[in-house]
Amino acid sequence: MSEAYVWGAIAGIVFATILTRSALLVVGLHARLPKAVEAALRYAPACALTAVIVPDLLYQGGELRLALDNYRLLAGLAGIAIFAAFRSTMGTIIGGMIVFWLLALT
Amino acid sequence: MLGPAPGVFAWGLVTGIAMVKSGLSVPHALGLSLAAYAGSAQLAALPLILAGAPLWLITVTALVVNLRFVVYSALIREYFRGQSTWRRLWLGYMIGDITLVQFMTRMKRQDPPMQHGVAYYVGSAACNWLAWQISSILGILTAGSIPQRWGLELAGTLALIALVVPLCAQLPALAGVIVAGIVAVLAHGLPLKLGMLAGVIAGISAAMWIESSRASTSGRSGAPS
Repeated sequence: MSEAYVWGAIAGIVFATILTRSALLVVGLHARLPKAVEAALRYAPACALTAVIVPDLLYQGGELRLALDNYRLLAGLAGIAIFAAFRSTMGTIIGGMIVFWLLALT
Repeated sequence: MLGPAPGVFAWGLVTGIAMVKSGLSVPHALGLSLAAYAGSAQLAALPLILAGAPLWLITVTALVVNLRFVVYSALIREYFRGQSTWRRLWLGYMIGDITLVQFMTRMKRQDPPMQHGVAYYVGSAACNWLAWQISSILGILTAGSIPQRWGLELAGTLALIALVVPLCAQLPALAGVIVAGIVAVLAHGLPLKLGMLAGVIAGISAAMWIESSRASTSGRSGAPS
């Protein structure tokens, strides 16, 4: 992971942020989005975040771990349950971390 | 206007800690937080950066995660028509989930009146920007003194989970998310972290397919939609 690579990645993320936030305001004040594009826009963020979260929880050191000793996965599942029950972001983060600590540090 | 600040503060703190705990250096994390100001995109890009994924894929991932901002900017643009191009660029850059909700609610109520809309928007955005940056920087600078075995990088993933779950209330989105997760895992062996992209494309396709097939079924039965 070289310096130039990481700064390049940061520049890419900044570019993506400015493009998504400002393009319609700068060049598309009157543009109409096609229906299919609007539908894709609705579902894309949830799908992208999930495609990041799930492998992140299931893989450790490049190895698929579906067993009960994968504490990160169990904490993530607890987080989903906590959010579904209480609709609280802070509760999800704190509750998930407590589950992880109870399993991993004891 | 300051109501949501504690929540933003906690989010920023978690993101700051998670970035450094995942392996980003302090200068990189500071640069990313100050320039991008995009919590979910920052956290989503982390595993890709650490795996050495190609820069175009990192950029595409950040684009896709940020697509909700395209919808937001479409909603607010009618209020900013009178502004110069340069100012519209900055007004867009400041947009965030909370600012959008606050701004749209107040504009619908016409409180403040339309001509003060921009001032209200900038005030709301500035509160969120400050709460986010101060807490992020605090998290980045204190992360080093937190033991690695506490596994605090997991807090970033949990924050993303809290972002995704409320988006899955409808069947098409839920199906899309499940497909995206399964395909991302099955395709995990692909080079360059392309499995993530495969998951996104499969998930969006599944959601759109279910949405359109539901629409056509209800159309055939003559039910009002």
